[in-house]
Amino acid sequence: MRFMLTADQRALLDATRALLARHAGASRARALGGHAPRYDAELDEALVDAGFAGCARDHDAGALAAALVVEATAEALGVVAIGARALVAPGLDVDPPAGAVALMVAGRQGPARFACEARAALVAWGPEAWLVAMDGVAADRVASRYGYPLGRVVARGDWVSRGDPLGPGSGPRLLAWWRAALALELVGTMRAAFDLTLEYVRHRSQFGKPIGSFQAVQHRLAETSILIEGSRLLALETAWLGAPDEAAAVALTHAAAAARRVFHETHQLTGAMGFAVDNDLHLSTMRLPALLTEAATMPPAGEAVVTSRWPALAAREG
Amino acid sequence: MDFGWSEEELGFRAELRRFLRTELDGRWEGPVRQLGSAENVRYSRDFTARLAERGWLIPHWPAEHGGGGSSPWKHMITGEELWSIGEPRGPQYMNVNWIGPSIMAHGTEAQRREHLPRIARGEVIWCQGFSEPEAGSDLVALRTRAVRDGDDYLVTGSKVWTSYASVADYCYLLVRTDPAAPRHQGISVLLVPTDTPGFEIRSIDAVIGDHAFHELNFAEMRVAASCRLGPENEGWNVVREALAFERVGAPRYARASRVLDDLVDWAERDERPLTAAVRERIATARAACEAARLLAYRVVDERAQGLPPSANVYIARAAMVRAERAVGEVGLEIMGAEGLVDGSLADEQLRKAMVAGIAAGTYEMQLNLVARALELPRG
Repeated sequence: MRFMLTADQRALLDATRALLARHAGASRARALGGHAPRYDAELDEALVDAGFAGCARDHDAGALAAALVVEATAEALGVVAIGARALVAPGLDVDPPAGAVALMVAGRQGPARFACEARAALVAWGPEAWLVAMDGVAADRVASRYGYPLGRVVARGDWVSRGDPLGPGSGPRLLAWWRAALALELVGTMRAAFDLTLEYVRHRSQFGKPIGSFQAVQHRLAETSILIEGSRLLALETAWLGAPDEAAAVALTHAAAAARRVFHETHQLTGAMGFAVDNDLHLSTMRLPALLTEAATMPPAGEAVVTSRWPALAAREG
Repeated sequence: MDFGWSEEELGFRAELRRFLRTELDGRWEGPVRQLGSAENVRYSRDFTARLAERGWLIPHWPAEHGGGGSSPWKHMITGEELWSIGEPRGPQYMNVNWIGPSIMAHGTEAQRREHLPRIARGEVIWCQGFSEPEAGSDLVALRTRAVRDGDDYLVTGSKVWTSYASVADYCYLLVRTDPAAPRHQGISVLLVPTDTPGFEIRSIDAVIGDHAFHELNFAEMRVAASCRLGPENEGWNVVREALAFERVGAPRYARASRVLDDLVDWAERDERPLTAAVRERIATARAACEAARLLAYRVVDERAQGLPPSANVYIARAAMVRAERAVGEVGLEIMGAEGLVDGSLADEQLRKAMVAGIAAGTYEMQLNLVARALELPRG
């Protein structure tokens, strides 16, 4: 058990962050459209070309390294399908064509991240996952201010079965890796929002002193940081373990609860200034509800915790 | 980063579980399980001595003090396994976590010879004389005076909320030796035998348990100066180090996790319906336990790497409190009115959860320290 990064992990993370410093960040997110951005094909390509998006397939680096890349990309506000590309696809041992990858549940017709620009989708359909080429699948852009390009698949009929089934049991595997990836994206996004808020309360003065010196503010930030740190370790451990059902569901359950808290606390503590589009806060916070609703397209993570840990309860409903 | 256990650690945990199954079978029940009860103390002395015989009481202590010289992980595994079943070491977990190490670090040769072998053999019980009527979270406000009188100190004052005092052999007592000095200075630590004349103990009835608390009163109690741990007036540094160990020494998440499993088993056996809302809260509680586990492991790793205690200690402690509370709350939802019955799973957990945010430094103190580490401006 070691919590410090190994030299290799540190080098990978530093290199990823250096790339993200050039190709991502708040100004890049703004250039892409701010709270209603287009997909960042350049960043996607840069992460793939540098090998960061594919490091899960490297035996020595593995899924934990990929998890660090996903977390860092989310923290740098990348508008790319990094979770699906770096963690979920390798977890299912598939290699979708270059470009955006959407994650979906068959039969759920709501708006989905990257549905319009996806070259491929990984779709959970009962016991199996399907890899579907999206080139011929019609999707409409959805107007939204939640930090990602959203689209609604409008293709008629059974477009999923035009793809390739990935074998029995691949459905639950997709859900587990998807939960792990979402937990990591939540963690990176929460961290970005938290750090801005921390900086704000250190300097914003009211009643003659920084508001960060008030215990009412300090305790809320302390609790928030405890939730983020716990979420982070759970998500990283899940990746390290290869996304077992229970661990992945636990990680997402924890990260989702943390994200709900982070969303409210960061906006509460930054006041009206946090709502202004000139302020970078919304670039991270507005993504949290989008990630949470994506989590909700899957069967509830909490229920997955209960049924994977206590299978006897699975058969019984209250 | 690596979340795996070594073969040796896995083997150790398995061996420990086998030992516990035979050792506790039929004996670890009823009043014996009530921490601090006479039965509990009797049993725990016996049990801890047997643990010591196998070299499992202080695997993390250096060999020169009778320990196994191993990394803190073995000790953490022992803590998890024992806390998850209700801590059959009784109060002695404190000895091996921080009282012994504190004596190792600051004790004279004579103090080490007197105390460490007895702790190592598992045959001595300690209590901690910290809180006072006017010094709770603000521990440095403590007023119990120790006035030098020849080779002795004369100790006068009161301690309160002291656990295990009625069964303890020694008290790790914080006293003020220089009332004129700034608050953090002028404090000393005395290692006081509880049979010292003038060591008065009164038990305090409390809803959290029958043997939970005591009040200690001293009126010019004479304690040999040779009982002082560390330099005079520098006790705050001595105890601060000790407290860092104490905060994660008790893996409360392990017990909370186990209780949650037991609660679900109970619901299954009793064929209680669990609504979707309750199942959701069960999942949330499970996640809180798991987060606390990893946050505590991170602290153990820092210790294993020889790093000084960091703010991660407070984060871990606060996360453990949250986990205890989450399980405490969902326990009653699962058991309903059955949870109100004395000694039920939910009853015991709720009472443990009530204490968790107070003992070893209040939850709010942990948050203050986390806030400080976040470099928030001082109030």
